[in-house]
Amino acid sequence: MTIPGWLDDFLWTYQTLIHDLGINGLLALAMYVVLAVGQLSLGQAAFMGLGAYSGALLSMKLHWPFALVLPASCVAPVLFALAIGVPTLRLSGVYLAIATIGLGEVLRSVYINWDYVGGALGLNGIPERAETWMIFSLLGVALLALFLVGRSRFGRAMEAMREDATAAAAMGINVRRYHLMALVTSAILAGLAGSLGAHEADFISPGEYGFEPAVTILSFALLGGIGNPAAPVAGAWFLTLLPEMMRDLPEIRLALNGAIIVLAVLFLPRGLFGWRMKRRAA
Amino acid sequence: MKRRTLGLLAAALFATPVLAQAQSVPVGAIEILSGPNAAYGIAIKAGLELALDEVNVKGVLGGRKIALTVEDSAGSPDQAVNAARKLIGRDKVVAIIGPTISGEMFRVGPVTNERKVPTLGTSTTANGITDIGPYIFRTSLPESDVIPVTLKAAMARGVKTIALMYANDDAFSKSGFDVMKAAAEKAGLKIIDIESFGQKDSDFSAQLTKIKSLKPDAVGISALVEPTSGVLLQARQLGFGQETLFIGGNGANSPKLGAIAGAAADGLIVGSPWFIGKETDGNPAFVAAFKARYNKDPDQFAAQAYDAMKIMAIAIDKAGAVDSEKVTAALAKTDFKGVMGPFQFTDHRDPATAAGVVVLTMKDGKFVILK
Repeated sequence: MTIPGWLDDFLWTYQTLIHDLGINGLLALAMYVVLAVGQLSLGQAAFMGLGAYSGALLSMKLHWPFALVLPASCVAPVLFALAIGVPTLRLSGVYLAIATIGLGEVLRSVYINWDYVGGALGLNGIPERAETWMIFSLLGVALLALFLVGRSRFGRAMEAMREDATAAAAMGINVRRYHLMALVTSAILAGLAGSLGAHEADFISPGEYGFEPAVTILSFALLGGIGNPAAPVAGAWFLTLLPEMMRDLPEIRLALNGAIIVLAVLFLPRGLFGWRMKRRAA
Repeated sequence: MKRRTLGLLAAALFATPVLAQAQSVPVGAIEILSGPNAAYGIAIKAGLELALDEVNVKGVLGGRKIALTVEDSAGSPDQAVNAARKLIGRDKVVAIIGPTISGEMFRVGPVTNERKVPTLGTSTTANGITDIGPYIFRTSLPESDVIPVTLKAAMARGVKTIALMYANDDAFSKSGFDVMKAAAEKAGLKIIDIESFGQKDSDFSAQLTKIKSLKPDAVGISALVEPTSGVLLQARQLGFGQETLFIGGNGANSPKLGAIAGAAADGLIVGSPWFIGKETDGNPAFVAAFKARYNKDPDQFAAQAYDAMKIMAIAIDKAGAVDSEKVTAALAKTDFKGVMGPFQFTDHRDPATAAGVVVLTMKDGKFVILK
């Protein structure tokens, strides 16, 4: 199959942007799975960092093939999720948010003070292995899986505990197990996104996995909504495309970006795409 | 009839820019024009545009104008890459100036290098920038060229022992510290203490108290201007006097140092590739033209950008064609006398000489040449 010249040019021009759409979509899903069970857990940037650093090290130091690196990149985030899951899931609401942000900051200062991973200078020269089809097929598979889960009885349980965890527990749902499963799924998705991002960008540094990205990932889900898994992905795409679409207005770009988000949150509290999933009667 | 006139008018309106575009030479620039570090990019853009207007009076390649497209990166490496791809893929630029900071260059460089588009950094001072590839150039002196000159001036004043302080969570500060440490060792200075802090910290008293007890002749600071100012203010409170010489890295080379730290910064020395009163041909005219157009004094970044735009224009002219390969070859052969002084590239596409570096000292909140 030959690609016509203009399309090739277009794809090259927007390659980073297109890849970012996929990666940010995965991150939005990582946020979605914890919000879907009512947990305001903001560790996604930390999971992403673990995936990015472990993936980059496996590629650069051990020269593993990417087909192995990618699944292996999920190991560190999952272990971290299990380790923090047990103590932090006793918390809820804003306390959980603060604890998870704190853990992310701990990891950030580990990267900064660990010379083996480049310290503040970051890791340079990561092989560019993430292909467009990989990113989008992973996103597609994740979306489909979450849709299916959402429509099943698990989805009903998740929705129940999101509205009222105590009532859901009284109905016989093992809330803690769901919370931990959601956290591990979130770690897998964010770890994949981090590893793909690292093998896309050629360069990673500690600042990319600190507080700011944690909030950005949250805003994907808040803007899109969490009624169905496609909504946060759409929110991520919207927020990723917005600064590029406003390239012609450099002076007011950031202000306009902020204003649009504020208006969306004020007037569309369920998100831009806040419809709920249809579910068959059980 | 009326409709026809309108049609003609519209045709004329659309035709003119197309015609001009066909003749002009597209060059791109990627700078930080919004966000917290916008001051750097805005100064660079001002310098580029001032030089551009002077270049376009005569034009290049026999009268063709350079069309400069400046894209905003907002300080984000991701957006800088998107901008580079847009400039190369859509605007078909022959060369790129920028991006503003080294972290952006580490992301943009591999992309432009792969497409063989010459990329000229005007403000990227970290080590390893030109290692990215054979199409990456810079006119900014790496810190490894500036700091030895500063340390030499310090040693001429009798400094024998030094304590180093740096922000360890910021690539620019860490890289500057590595250079400062290596240069101090090479110059034979005795490093008696190394302390680090976070660039957003506001309390440095633990580090400074320890340093004070060790009584070094000098304290070297590698950090951006805000934490550097904070260190100086607190040092004076803790009783550091003029017997301790404070030495700044590239981050301290900003008029903001005087604005924030005031008298506390007095006596600090810093090496700089440029200075507003620098006596090179063309510098007084540049300063006057800049003031007339923008109503403020130019800074180091504007001066570097002004020279870089001219270097690029000459290279395009010498290349003889709008061809990235030929422009790259012509850039490598640059032999230019600008407001910064005489300029050539090394074989590794870094500035060839640090002879233009001047050592400045703070006096009453303003930089003056160290005498």
